[in-house]
Amino acid sequence: MSVQVVAAKMAEVELQDVPSKESPAESPVTPNSEDKKLVKTEPHEVGSSATTPTAEPSVKAGDPSPGLLTPNPAKMPQASAMRRPDQQQNGGDAFVNRDGTVAEAPRMKKIQFADQKQEFNKRPSKIGRRSLSRSISQSSTDSYSSAASYTDSSDDETSPRDKQQKNSKGNGDFCIKNIKQADFGRREIEIAEQEMPALMALRKRAQGEKPLAGAKVVGCTHITAQTAVLMETLSALGAQCRWAACNIYSTQNEVAAALAEGGFSVFAWKGESEDDFWWCIDRCVNLEGWQPNMILDDGGDLTHWIYKKYPNMFKKIKGIVEESVTGVHRLYQLSKAGKLCVPAMNVNDSVTKQKFDNLYCCRESILDGLKRTTDVMFGGKQVVVCGYGEVGKGCCAALKAMGSIVYVTEIDPICALQACMDGFRLVKLNEVIRQVDIVITCTGNKNVVVREYLDRMKNGCIVCNMGHSNTEIDVASLRTPELTWERVRSQVDHVIWPDGKRIVLLAEGRLLNLSCSTVPTFVLSITATTQALALIELYNAPEGRYKQDVYLLPKKMDEYVASLHLPTFDAHLTELSDEQAKYLGLNKNGPFKPNYYRY
Amino acid sequence: MSDPAGDAKSEPKQASKEVKESENVAEKYSTMTVSKNSDVTMAELASAFSALPTHKPVKKQIQFVEDKQEFSRFPTKAGRRSLSRSISQSSTDSYSSAASYTDSSDDETSPRDKTQVNSKGSSDFCVKNIKQAEFGRREIEIAEQDMSALISLRKRAQGEKPLAGAKIVGCTHITAQTAVLIETLVALGAQCRWTACNIYSTQNEVAAALSEIGVAVFAWKGESEDDFWWCIDRCVNTEGWQPNMILDDGGDLTHWVYKKYPNVFKKIRGIVEESVTGVHRLYQLSKAGKLCVPAMNVNDSVTKQKFDNLYCCRESILDGLKRTTDVMFGGKQVVVCGYGEVGKGCCAALKALGAIVYVTEIDPICGLQACMDGFRVVKLNEVIRHVDVIITCTGNKNVVTREQLDRMKNGSIVCNMGHSNTEIDVASLRTPELTWERVRSQVDHVIWPDGKRVILLAEGRLLNLSCSTVPTFVLSITATTQALALIELYNAPEGRYKQDVYLLPKKMDEYVASLHLATFDAHLTELSDEQAKYLGLNKNGPFKPNYYRY
Repeated sequence: MSVQVVAAKMAEVELQDVPSKESPAESPVTPNSEDKKLVKTEPHEVGSSATTPTAEPSVKAGDPSPGLLTPNPAKMPQASAMRRPDQQQNGGDAFVNRDGTVAEAPRMKKIQFADQKQEFNKRPSKIGRRSLSRSISQSSTDSYSSAASYTDSSDDETSPRDKQQKNSKGNGDFCIKNIKQADFGRREIEIAEQEMPALMALRKRAQGEKPLAGAKVVGCTHITAQTAVLMETLSALGAQCRWAACNIYSTQNEVAAALAEGGFSVFAWKGESEDDFWWCIDRCVNLEGWQPNMILDDGGDLTHWIYKKYPNMFKKIKGIVEESVTGVHRLYQLSKAGKLCVPAMNVNDSVTKQKFDNLYCCRESILDGLKRTTDVMFGGKQVVVCGYGEVGKGCCAALKAMGSIVYVTEIDPICALQACMDGFRLVKLNEVIRQVDIVITCTGNKNVVVREYLDRMKNGCIVCNMGHSNTEIDVASLRTPELTWERVRSQVDHVIWPDGKRIVLLAEGRLLNLSCSTVPTFVLSITATTQALALIELYNAPEGRYKQDVYLLPKKMDEYVASLHLPTFDAHLTELSDEQAKYLGLNKNGPFKPNYYRY
Repeated sequence: MSDPAGDAKSEPKQASKEVKESENVAEKYSTMTVSKNSDVTMAELASAFSALPTHKPVKKQIQFVEDKQEFSRFPTKAGRRSLSRSISQSSTDSYSSAASYTDSSDDETSPRDKTQVNSKGSSDFCVKNIKQAEFGRREIEIAEQDMSALISLRKRAQGEKPLAGAKIVGCTHITAQTAVLIETLVALGAQCRWTACNIYSTQNEVAAALSEIGVAVFAWKGESEDDFWWCIDRCVNTEGWQPNMILDDGGDLTHWVYKKYPNVFKKIRGIVEESVTGVHRLYQLSKAGKLCVPAMNVNDSVTKQKFDNLYCCRESILDGLKRTTDVMFGGKQVVVCGYGEVGKGCCAALKALGAIVYVTEIDPICGLQACMDGFRVVKLNEVIRHVDVIITCTGNKNVVTREQLDRMKNGSIVCNMGHSNTEIDVASLRTPELTWERVRSQVDHVIWPDGKRVILLAEGRLLNLSCSTVPTFVLSITATTQALALIELYNAPEGRYKQDVYLLPKKMDEYVASLHLATFDAHLTELSDEQAKYLGLNKNGPFKPNYYRY
């Protein structure tokens, strides 16, 4: 249903961008034979994408690697659109000036992209699809002090693309900020390993059989210490990896250095330009004598790039593993259009990952975020939580445990009844707005807290958002002349009314859990393990198990992710006896639940 | 991506045999009374009436027993455990079940032999004693207090009479709560004929009250198996009246109509089925291509599932333990076997009272959930020596074995919240060296030769049904769901529902919840037009996709 909803939204977008509809329509979609379609489509794709780059090199001066296919600047504005919306216009214009007709299609595609991302950011938390990965992507722009590199990139003005670096083994097939930071990065990775026991256990368990032997994985994710643990695990299981960053800000330079030193071909640094971004992805994919056979993607940019530039590569690719809501949505769109030519695995919607990204993570970060920013004491405070989905449930549980008096607002009667049965008063926001000390939004909706409510809040009321980017609180309405904004510390603004009333606005209405708190490694470990298992599953699946479609992680794998994390808690799982397994009609090793089970 | 439900089904026959062998002493109060007996009757009747030629009556009937058996087995585990099933059992499980106050033993004449007339001169009913009507009316009025959802449904839908013309034949427990449902259906325009789905559960005075207002009820407490099917037959088989809707609990009525009056299905618009067993029988029918009308599975609706398992058990675990043992929970070490919906409820309740709770699990995802909720996940053997209370809610069998019972400490309490009586291996305690001492109703002390005592509750049967009661509020959820399912099926445009088994539409599920919000004085927020557009939702729901997990 959500997909329908999204589709409906997409339809609007596509109406605006008629040309974008036409260019995909070029590729003949005759679903009578999937295999033929694959072959058929490709020439068209090649044709359209090939024409664009041919026009490029002349325009693109100063490209350091003329031997490589130059990234199509048409894609750059995509990057800018998702990262810095303000630059979108410039990028778009510049592009139109350069390319005439040929580029029309890609450009429109780009606009659609920006919209898609926007679209997608919008409702996930409501539909239960809100993903931390998406949110983390945002964090780098959302947060002033995001979890990026310690070593600031500003200490060296040369672009990594212009530098020639080699690791201690003489290998130069990477491009990072500074290889000399490798030692420091190694320490970061070792710390992360401590908190990612699941991946370490996976290494040990699967090291003997090397389930990924022969796998050539090209990846595009955030490059952090946690990702490094994942990459080294994949490598330990037999895979070759080439990696790029899925976000221009989030790379930890020293970790990238440590990986490069360890022999991984990493192309990423903190503070890439949009051009750098696509150049890095291209360097990952486009290499003499090396063709990837697996894709690990976060956001769908890498997949998109290969589709546009190297469609032939899909002949060898066994599968795509996609982590983010956005990327998954793009895959479903592809699949719907009949253009997905390899199996893809949607790891975002796996049970374990969903629970950890939303319920468990937010249950802790709400307290952490509020404490770090305001040092508020929770006992006896009146708090209203807007929305009782997974995030709302987590927030309410944490606050209740601290002794707060919690009110809930909801639109869905089933969730509302759950709130009632959990002991929370269900109210409308305007019934309690005058008396509450804290307002927390986690609806995924927009304009949940509007100016009218803000006007009626009491002095000192704290307003923050746990739900979704920055639409839930109507912050724009506070930018009026009669109100004074006072920044009291990082991420904390006092908004002062003419009568002296103050409202404490956190993170300017952006996500509190990303701006003012950190994501525990344990949560990232769940995601990384899920990705690793999805890769193993796709790579080792017998021919024909997965068709050209988007799949959910098999429940058994989902259960395996959970079981790998149990030792952290010294938890001892009970095993079914043969007799019991027979009685229940289950396999002793799972899966233990039917697919519709709600947990 | 295998479907465990499917896996499960592949095993039923063998497994059910095993159960039969292992069925134990508690058989005195056999949980299977109705189904077993009914099978006998079925066989007799089937041969007598030589039912549908396409069916092989005997075979079919044997399969039935197995269905029942098999089905009651894994529901908890598979998330399909249904209270309705459990309530069916309760009447046989419990010594003091929520049945009639007025004991049927005061009058030895069978109701079938009596001719009774209500105050309006109608005699189209068969109940124990029509004179109890006034008393039953009071019961119904009490139930109405806690079933405000149905009452408000009456008010909201009374004007349009969405069930005008509906002729509903029903087979459910006949209790005050059901009476509220029946009277609601009547208020919405339906004609009803009703019978009991269980030979013990009928509240005679309620049946009398219903008969008094003109509902044709055929039921009394303590029917024989023959009576049971006679009542069903009287319901269906009337001159000049053909049902067009079926409301069933357990599938017996549906089965009877299939066997005896297949032509009735030509007029029937739909079947609403509440219990796990009945739903399973419908799916079997559908699979065999024999389902000839749409059927609605209300058992698996979100709201009903949550209330039957999580919310209901969260309260009844404390209630059941208190009533039977007066134990104090603070600081007690408790092990809860299984962390499904029932286990989650039990753990939450016990933790809130200050108990130290351990959890055992087989499913790593549920195990991880237990960890994140702050419970130690252990194997039973690791803690068996020092726990004070053991609660099983796995849906599995032999979870607590004799060997573990031997190692428990003196005075520890053992009880079962999960499923009939297979979880605790009670049979293994019936050995000569152990002394059984009944200290009060539902409480047995089992004494080891060395003097150690283990307190066994309800002989290993369901604690929440044997030693505690089901709140009317929970039954209200079920009844409202049934009423809405009937309305939906009856009013659906031609073609919306084919000859298949459907889940209650999410919108109806949400409506059930919204009708119950008033009880909590809960004020639902409405989406503005702008917000609805932004989310791509209809302002009136449904608000979530079908795969949403709540």
